[in-house]
Amino acid sequence: MAVELLPAGAAQVDAYANLAAGLAMGLGAVGPGIGLGILTAGACEAIARQPEAQGTIRTTFFIGMGLAEACALYAFVIAVILLFVVQK
Amino acid sequence: MAAEAGGGILGALDELNVHTFIKIPHVWKFDFSITNAVVYVWFSALVVFVLFYVAARIARKKPGKLQTLAEVVLNFGLNLTGIYTSKGKKYYYIYATIFSFIFITNLIGLIPKPAGIWPYTPTANISVTFSMAIVIFALTQYFGIKNHGVRGYTSTFLMPKDVPTGIRRAMNVIFFPVEILGQLFRPLSLSVRLFANTIAGHIIILVMLGMLLQYRFPVGGVTGLFVIAMTAFEIFVAFIQAYIFSLLSVVYLEGAMADSH
Repeated sequence: MAVELLPAGAAQVDAYANLAAGLAMGLGAVGPGIGLGILTAGACEAIARQPEAQGTIRTTFFIGMGLAEACALYAFVIAVILLFVVQK
Repeated sequence: MAAEAGGGILGALDELNVHTFIKIPHVWKFDFSITNAVVYVWFSALVVFVLFYVAARIARKKPGKLQTLAEVVLNFGLNLTGIYTSKGKKYYYIYATIFSFIFITNLIGLIPKPAGIWPYTPTANISVTFSMAIVIFALTQYFGIKNHGVRGYTSTFLMPKDVPTGIRRAMNVIFFPVEILGQLFRPLSLSVRLFANTIAGHIIILVMLGMLLQYRFPVGGVTGLFVIAMTAFEIFVAFIQAYIFSLLSVVYLEGAMADSH
């Protein structure tokens, strides 16, 4: 099967870039969403087991949330690059 | 936040553009012109400096409100340190400065300003956040080499000496590049995390404002409430991102200073 590469200024590049941006952000938000749900469940259960450790658990929860959120934002950056830099 | 340039939604996004004030010719691909991003970075640094300087000047035995605030921030920086080693406790001011600079920059960027003063949030620019991350990266390498020497610091990238020699050399071939890539990925992830969080919130707020100004009522009523809620969430995100940036800086810097692997 012969695969042809599109020339750089072709009109189909815009169409594929739009499609790729949608796929990137859509599929890229599945993992962090599930991860944040598991993180919040663990935090809720830990607070329920030991309410006096609330402060430490809340701090750890925020740290985990920031790191998991970053993975979704890498996909966002790729989507923005595809929409505004690849398309002319 | 920015008056529309008569273009509806896309006109409201004009706040994310950089306007050059004084053009300085390029010095080998680096552009040193004075733009509104540069002016706002200077302004945030000035605000942080004046805040802490005045708090130090009027210091007395029974602290007033400003001195209590400065002491809270410095204590916050001090409590972050000492995670891996106690040698890092004397650099607590680095983390307090990074935290207050990022937090105050994002707060200033959230205030609605007229279009006449070219409003801009510096942390919504990948150059600004990447510069901060590169500084942390350079400091990490400097502390690692200063505390362990060059040979000692490279040996933290290899497997520990307990593993027998034959297996160790074979696994080092895989382990060493993976560790180096992990180190090189850190400034990238630090900068992209802060940049993407800030600019995602700003894009949402600005698009909603553009919609509000274009389709007045009834769409405008609902989007106005959403803009208010989103701005409150952005303040929260600004605090969290500043905290995570400084916390990860502590982890990286102290990880380079730590004795055992």
